[in-house]
Amino acid sequence: MIRWFCPEVLLVLTGVTLILADALIPPGKKEWLPRLSILLGIALFIFTIWQSGQPMPEVWANLFVTDGLSLVFKPFFVLCLVGVTLISVRYPMGREEVVRTEFLALPFFSTAGLCLLASARDFLAIFVALELVAISLYLLAAFHRSRAASLEAGMKLLVMGGLSTGFLVMGIAWLYATAGSTEFSRIILEQAGRPASPALLFAVGLILTGLAFKIAAVPFHAWAPDVYEGAPTPITAFLAIASKAAGFVLLLRIFCLGAFALDSVGWVFRPILLTMGIATVTLGTLAALPQRNLKRYLAYSGIAHAGYMLLALGTWGESGMGTVAGYLWAYLLATFPVFIFVQELERVHGNADMRHLDGLAQRDPGPALGLTLCFLSMAGLPPLLGFSAKLSVFTALWSAGEIPGLVVGVIMAVVGLGFYLVPIRAMYWEREPDVVPAQRFPSFLVWILLLAGAAQLILGFQPRPLVRLVEKSLAPMVSGNLQGK
Amino acid sequence: MNIALALPLLLAVPLVAVGAIALGASPRKTALWASWINLIPGFLVSGVVLRRGEIFYGPEGTNLREVFPVQFRLGLDGLSLPLLWLTLLVTVAAIGVARADVKRAMEYHICLLLVGLGALGAFLSLDLFYFFSFHEVALIPSFLLIGIWGQGDRTGAAWRMTLYLVLGSLLLLIALIGLVWAAPETARTLDWRVLTETLRAQPIPASQQTYLAALLIAGFGTLVSLVPFHSWAPGGYASAPAPAAMLHAGVLKKFGIYGLLRLALPLTPLGWRELSWIVGLMLAGNILYLGLASLAQRDFRWLLGFSSAMHMGTIFLGLISGTVLGLGGALVLMVGHGLSAALGFAVAGEVGQRAGTTWMKDLGGLATRTPKLWFYLMIAGMASIGLPGLANFAGEIMIFFGAWSAHPFLVGIAAWGVVLSSVAMLRAIRSIATGPVSSALDSKKGSDLNGFQEVWPFALLTALLFLMGLVPNLVLGPARPVLERLIQP
Repeated sequence: MIRWFCPEVLLVLTGVTLILADALIPPGKKEWLPRLSILLGIALFIFTIWQSGQPMPEVWANLFVTDGLSLVFKPFFVLCLVGVTLISVRYPMGREEVVRTEFLALPFFSTAGLCLLASARDFLAIFVALELVAISLYLLAAFHRSRAASLEAGMKLLVMGGLSTGFLVMGIAWLYATAGSTEFSRIILEQAGRPASPALLFAVGLILTGLAFKIAAVPFHAWAPDVYEGAPTPITAFLAIASKAAGFVLLLRIFCLGAFALDSVGWVFRPILLTMGIATVTLGTLAALPQRNLKRYLAYSGIAHAGYMLLALGTWGESGMGTVAGYLWAYLLATFPVFIFVQELERVHGNADMRHLDGLAQRDPGPALGLTLCFLSMAGLPPLLGFSAKLSVFTALWSAGEIPGLVVGVIMAVVGLGFYLVPIRAMYWEREPDVVPAQRFPSFLVWILLLAGAAQLILGFQPRPLVRLVEKSLAPMVSGNLQGK
Repeated sequence: MNIALALPLLLAVPLVAVGAIALGASPRKTALWASWINLIPGFLVSGVVLRRGEIFYGPEGTNLREVFPVQFRLGLDGLSLPLLWLTLLVTVAAIGVARADVKRAMEYHICLLLVGLGALGAFLSLDLFYFFSFHEVALIPSFLLIGIWGQGDRTGAAWRMTLYLVLGSLLLLIALIGLVWAAPETARTLDWRVLTETLRAQPIPASQQTYLAALLIAGFGTLVSLVPFHSWAPGGYASAPAPAAMLHAGVLKKFGIYGLLRLALPLTPLGWRELSWIVGLMLAGNILYLGLASLAQRDFRWLLGFSSAMHMGTIFLGLISGTVLGLGGALVLMVGHGLSAALGFAVAGEVGQRAGTTWMKDLGGLATRTPKLWFYLMIAGMASIGLPGLANFAGEIMIFFGAWSAHPFLVGIAAWGVVLSSVAMLRAIRSIATGPVSSALDSKKGSDLNGFQEVWPFALLTALLFLMGLVPNLVLGPARPVLERLIQP
C-alpha cells in the first residue's frame, strides 16, 4: 500500500493541499500556511529517505524504476525543496503581494517532477517530468511581478527553456524513428553490438543539446547569469542546484546507465562531452572573476562546477558516475547556505552586491566564518568537502588518461581560488563601510551558516559517509546494468 | 595508556586552543600555553622514536576495496622528528614574538595556530590525502595574516603567494594521483609508507618516473620557492607580520623539501636522477640570481626574504647529492635555516616595530641604542652566512662534502652563494647596527627588548641554533637509518 504514496504523489498532493487551503481559508487567517509548508517539506524529506527504496508499482515499470540513482537523488531534490521553502517564507515580496501561497506550493510540483526524473527510464516519461519541472519554474522565476528584473528572468527562462525543450523533443522524435522505441532497455537491446547509425547520433546530439541548456554548459549557458540575477533568490537557488542536478541526473541516466551507454555512441560523444567540459570550466571560471553581484557570481561559479562534472562524465566510466553524484551533493551542501545568506543580504541591503560584504567579519564573525568555509569548499581547498569532489574528478581524469581535461581543470582550479577569495577578502580585510544598516542578520542565519561550515570541514576530513552513500547506491546498479547488457 | 595517542594529541592541542580562542579565551595567553603544552606530547613521541625508530597511530593497513581508501594515520620517524621539533619550537617562538596589543588579536592568534597546525599535520601524516590537506590548511590563514596584518604591498603579496602556492599544490596533487595510480591495481594505497614498499618491489617504469618526478619537482619546488617558481616568496615574507613570516619561512616551506625526500627520492629514483641536472640549474638560479638580488635590496625584510629563498638552493644541492652525507646536511640545514630565518624575521619585526621602518638607510646605531636586539641580529646574520658553531654551517659543510663527488661545479657555485650572502648580510648589519643613531630609533628612548618577557623567544632560537651547530648528531643520529634507506637502490 505504502508504495503508492511514493514521494512524487505526496509532493503533488501537498502542493494541491496548499493551494486549496489558500483558496478556502479566508484572508487574514493564513499566517500559519508558510509554517505548514515548511513542516510538510521536512516530513516529506524524512518520508523520502525512509521510503525511496521501495520498488515502483508494476503498472509504471516501463516508465519508472527504483535504482541507485533515484535512491541518491530523490532525497537530494526533496532536501533542495526544504531549503527553498525555508527561504521562500522569508522572501521580501513587497506590500502589494499579499498572497504568496502559490510561491510556496509551486516548488512542490516542480520537485515532484524532479523526483520523477530521477527514476524515469523512458524518454516520454523524461519529457513529461521535465515539463512539470520547467513550467513551474517559469512561473516562479517571474513571480515577483512588481520587479522588472523578475519578469525579465521569467521571460528569458521561458524562451530558453522552450528552445531546449524543442531540441529535446526533436531528439526524441528522431530516436523513435531510428530505434523504434523510447524505452531505455529496448533501445539498448536494439542498438547493442551495432555501429551507431548517423540518425541515432543526430538524435543523441539533439538530446544532449537540450540537456546542456538545463545544466548551463557552454555554449548554452548565456541565460544563466541573467535569470539567476533577476529571479527571486529562493528560485535562483532552486534553478542553480536542483535544476542543474536534474540535468546531470538525466545525463548520467542516459549516457552512463541507460539508453546510450553504448560504446558506439560513446566513441563519438566522449570527446564532445570532454570538450564541452573544458570550455565550460574555462568560461565559468574566467567570467566569474569580474562579477560584483553575488547572484551572478554564483551563476558563473555554478557554470564552472557544471564543467567539472562534465569532465568527470566525459571519462565515461563507473568512477566518473560516482564522481558526478558525489560532486552534486558537495555542490548542494556548499552552495545552498550561500544562497540563504544572499537572500538575507537582500533583505537587509536591498540587493546582493558584493560590497555589502565589506568588513562583515568584524560585524558578524559567525556568518563570515561559515561563508568562508563554504566558498573555500567550492574552490576545492582541502580539507573541505569540495576538495574531495575535485579530487575525485581529477582522479577520474587521470585514470582515464584525459590529460588535456586534467590540465585545464587544474589551471582553472587555481584561477577559481582567485575568485572565491574575493568575497573572503572583502569580509576579512576590507574596512567596514561608514554606514552600516541597523537591521541585523537573524540569529538562525548564524547557526545555519556555522553548521554548513562545520559540515564542509567534517565531511572534508572524513568523506566516508558521503562516499559510502554514493558508492552503496551506485555500485550494485552499475554491475547490474552491465549484466543487463 | 598507549603512548601513540600522543601523535593525534599533537594536533588536538592547537585545535582545542583555536576553539577556546574563538569562544573568547584570552588569545595570546591561550595560544602561548597551547604551544608550550604541545611540547609534552612532543617529548613523549620523541622518546619512542629514539628508542624504537618509529611510532604510528591509526588503523593498520588499507582497505583496498574501497573507492576512497582514506585513513587518518599518523607516524613519526627519524626524518620527521627534527621537523616536528622545528615546528613545535618555532611555533612557540613565533607566538612569543606576536604582540598582545595587535589589532583583532583573536583572529590573529587563530591564524598563527592554524599555520603551525598545518605544518605539524603535514609532517605527521602517513596518508597522502591528509599529508596534502594539512599543508593546505595553512594556506588561507597565511593569506589573511599577510592581507590584514601585513605591511607594504600586502594585498599584492598575499594574492601572489596564495595563488602560487595553490598552483604548486595542484601540480603536486596531480603528481600524487599519478604516484598512487602507478602502483599495481591490487596494491593501490594512499599510505606513503606502504606505497614506498610496493613501488620498491615493483618500480614505476622509467619513462613514467621521469614525468612524475618532473611534476613533483614543479609542485614541491613551487612550495619551496625554487627558481623560476620563487617570485611569491621574498615579497610575501617582506609583507607578512613577523610571526607569520617566521612560521612560513621557518617551517611551512620545509614541507616541500620534506615531500621530495619522502616521495621523489624513493618512489621515482630514476626520474630524480635523470632530472637532477635541471634541479641543478634551478638551484644555481636560486643561489646566484636570488643571491645577487638580495645584494640589491634596500629594505631589511626584503633582504631576508631573498636570502631565505636563496638558501633553498643549497638545501636542494644536498638533495641531488645522492649521498647520505649530503642528505643529512640538507636535513641539518633545513632545521638550521628554519631557526635562523625565524630569528631573522623576528628581529626584523622588532626593528620595524621600534623604528617604524626597515629601510636600511633610515636605520643605524642599533648597536648602541638597543644592544640586545643587535646581539640577536648578529646571531641571525652570522647563522645565515654560515659561521662555524651555528647550525647552518654544519649543514652547509656536510652538503658541500656530500655533493663534491657528483656535482663539483655546483659546489663551487654554492660556495659563491656563501660569499654573496655574507656580503649582503654584513652590509645590512653595518647599516642597521653601526653609525650614528638614526632619528627613527632615537625618538623612542630605551626601547630595547624589555625583560624576560620579550627576550625569551630570541634566546630560545639562539640556543637552538648553537645546539644544532655544535651537536648536529641530535638530528643526524635518528635520521641516518631513514636517509640510508632513501637512497638505497
